[in-house]
Amino acid sequence: MKTCLVVDNSKMIRRVAGRILTEMKFNAEEAENGLEALNFCRGKMPEAILLDWNMPVMDGLTFVKTLRQEPGGTTPVILFCTSERDVIKISEALNAGADEYIMKPFDSDIIASKFYQVGLLG
Amino acid sequence: MSGVLSLKPSYYEALKRLTLELAGVHLGDDHAFLVETRLGVLARQEGYQNLNQMVDDLFGQGQTRLAIKVVSSLLERDTHFNPDPDGLSIIESYLFPALQKSSKGQPVKILSFACSSGQEPYSLAIMVKKFRQLHPDFQASILGVDYPSPALTRAQDGQYTHFEVQRGLPIRDLISYFDRAGEDWVVKPSLRAMVEFKEFHLLSKLDALGEFDLVLFRNSLAYYSSPAQIRVIRSLSSIVKHDRYLMFGSKEDLPSSSYNFDKVEGYKNLLVKHPKPVVAEVEPDLPKPPPKEYVPDGAKAKPARP
Repeated sequence: MKTCLVVDNSKMIRRVAGRILTEMKFNAEEAENGLEALNFCRGKMPEAILLDWNMPVMDGLTFVKTLRQEPGGTTPVILFCTSERDVIKISEALNAGADEYIMKPFDSDIIASKFYQVGLLG
Repeated sequence: MSGVLSLKPSYYEALKRLTLELAGVHLGDDHAFLVETRLGVLARQEGYQNLNQMVDDLFGQGQTRLAIKVVSSLLERDTHFNPDPDGLSIIESYLFPALQKSSKGQPVKILSFACSSGQEPYSLAIMVKKFRQLHPDFQASILGVDYPSPALTRAQDGQYTHFEVQRGLPIRDLISYFDRAGEDWVVKPSLRAMVEFKEFHLLSKLDALGEFDLVLFRNSLAYYSSPAQIRVIRSLSSIVKHDRYLMFGSKEDLPSSSYNFDKVEGYKNLLVKHPKPVVAEVEPDLPKPPPKEYVPDGAKAKPARP
């Protein structure tokens, strides 16, 4: 079973996303901010990361840039999942090493569609 | 029938018959809620006080224009960008290269039949743009047709919600080919210019649309009654050029009769129209051959193939 790490400071978002991922047969793990996520990845790289942008301690963009430099840090598929909709912000996320980008609010159809596009669903 | 629903039960049957007669499509028994919600919206748009009043008018006065609007509202499908990715990869890897070769610099004409709210034609336009980056001389024109409906109007506007653009469209395509319009996203003018939309009765004679190198008719066939299936495929056969393609959804069962098409080996949802028949040149002065009377066993003439 593939693991997807949900990184968001909102408990509600982590719960909603976790439920969708479980329905998609993923093992959903949680982190509250970028630093927690980084520590999780240093222990075991997940296959996928669903990542919020604005979080206390370490934001999503800093997390992507840091993770992509770490050993094995290029393996996880990273999907931003944020309320940022500005085209410049989206480009910035992609240039930093994100693979896909989900704009909140989202539903299970959107998550499934994006996961399919990045090859996480067959 | 649930007490929440307001339409007289006899009208459901009448609406099902109307949809079958006008569009050749069977509405299932579970469509009562759909009828209520979609026609409720249409009734308001058309200025009626309620749904029953509109349906009274529809069947009382037999208005053709209203009948088409009612049927197209009932048939509106939820469509996505890049629908049926398996099918699209065939277009990219097989059809575009084949059509580029055979079109010899002429624009390739593509028809999206039953295009609904336009995601399929715009997805094709994006594919054409990407293919053109590697093959700058590739030219294509894309036409989307469907019944007049709010969906087709949305297709013409090229404007999609936050939810619609996130179903099937990769983020890089979104920011490359769309602009933000408040909460929505709208196709960029350069993409919009590649696609034309036309209101069309899908069961009418299609010749007026012209001839095409590729016709996409995907994931709709199963809803049609058997006579309507035959009618629509025959009509489509008349607008596909010889040696050119008709594509269905990748999970669809294709009709068993050929209708002037052959299956393309290795691609189960793709048909190619028979080559143009070669007409034998007959010298006008030569005497006519005697009428065929007898062909010895084992010596039957094979039909000439080009």
